[in-house]
Amino acid sequence: MAYPSIAIPGQPLGLSSQYASGPGTHVQNAHICASILGPVVEYAQDTKASSGKTRDSPPPVLSVQRSAQLVSNDAALTNVLPEVDAVVLARVTRINPRQATVAILVVGETVCSDEFQGLIRVQDVRATEKDKVKIFSSFRPGDIVRAQVISLGDQSNYYLSTAGNHLGVVMATSDGGNTMYPISWKEFKDPVTGVTESRKVAKPF
Amino acid sequence: MALSPLVLPGDPIPPGALPTSSNPSIPLKLGPGLRHIPPDRIVPVVAGELCIDHKKNAVWVETNGGRYIPTAGDLILATVHHSTSDSFSCSISPHTPFASLPHLAFAGVTRKTRPQLNPGSLVYARIALANKHMDPEIECVNPATGKSDGMGELKGGMLFDVSLGMSRRLMMPNPSAQGSMVILDEIAEKVPFEMAVGRNGRVWVDAEGVAKTLVVGRAIQETDEGNLGVDEQRKVAKRLLRDL
Repeated sequence: MAYPSIAIPGQPLGLSSQYASGPGTHVQNAHICASILGPVVEYAQDTKASSGKTRDSPPPVLSVQRSAQLVSNDAALTNVLPEVDAVVLARVTRINPRQATVAILVVGETVCSDEFQGLIRVQDVRATEKDKVKIFSSFRPGDIVRAQVISLGDQSNYYLSTAGNHLGVVMATSDGGNTMYPISWKEFKDPVTGVTESRKVAKPF
Repeated sequence: MALSPLVLPGDPIPPGALPTSSNPSIPLKLGPGLRHIPPDRIVPVVAGELCIDHKKNAVWVETNGGRYIPTAGDLILATVHHSTSDSFSCSISPHTPFASLPHLAFAGVTRKTRPQLNPGSLVYARIALANKHMDPEIECVNPATGKSDGMGELKGGMLFDVSLGMSRRLMMPNPSAQGSMVILDEIAEKVPFEMAVGRNGRVWVDAEGVAKTLVVGRAIQETDEGNLGVDEQRKVAKRLLRDL
């Protein structure tokens, strides 16, 4: 069955017996269907080295490309969607005694074309003494945070965690407007005024 | 007391105005209304009188009016608006976000015995957390000692609104000497009453009967509105007590 060159969401592209489902597609009623709007590409799967058993080569992969990937012709470009256990960089947009709302800017090494919203709940800020965490002493709006995705969450938010030495605030601006540098796992220092502010700091190296 | 200089935001401070403490080891303390621009500039950011305390080596700008800005550590009068699963939402000043008062932030309370505060109740509380990024949080217990320190629900009585400057004068350690507030001493000779002052511009008064409560409340409000001096306060006190 010839697949269309441009697919709209929900459009069947091929049989799931003949093709494998790649990024931008899903399987429904034994058909590979497009999930997003975009051009359809087919490419061969990377055949893993099998241990002597002769098998048929795995079926080709059908995928629908996102507009951000059209810049490069590499069909096997990594997806810019955050996955579970991905390390992301995000900017804190809002804080609340129970959670911090962040805008995910970078997934892994790729900058996202548009931001995703994430939540860091108060029990996911630190690994130890989770009930004594104060969000105001861990994050402030405007901080850049390195976090790990723990759940794809619901319709509006990914769930992130900064429980880990390498996770936490990477860049912060002081109340006086100057960029601060980290001095310990819980403090940033403003070099101009000398004032320290508390944050949950990520290990810089 | 010498007339304190009036300053406007951004004015340079006259050099003789800064306190010169006899003890040079005490650092200069900047109070509300002043900002330090490193390395050596002190600039007022509000309009008002520049006040100095030589003993404590402190300088600040005294202004009256405007809205109350919640600051951690202030004692305030809050009205309970509604209750959520783990806190009360209380109003500190009108048309501002509610402050949250946790159910467990009271003296001698456990998960089984929760305080019963209906919407509309008045509480005397301390601000635990206040910053520009989040809604304020208040508490009715001292977290270090677990004692209530006079905080908690206020039953009966009546609430009066006063300016922020008046509530600061009432909360001074010696209002009659430091803040020229003699009217309450005059009234207290004839009318016994109980009073609680919040820094958010609210005063709660409780006396025997509505008439006496109103006398005390009106006394404070008239002193505030008219900016009355000591003699005028005595006249007002006489007039209000005579009408009782």
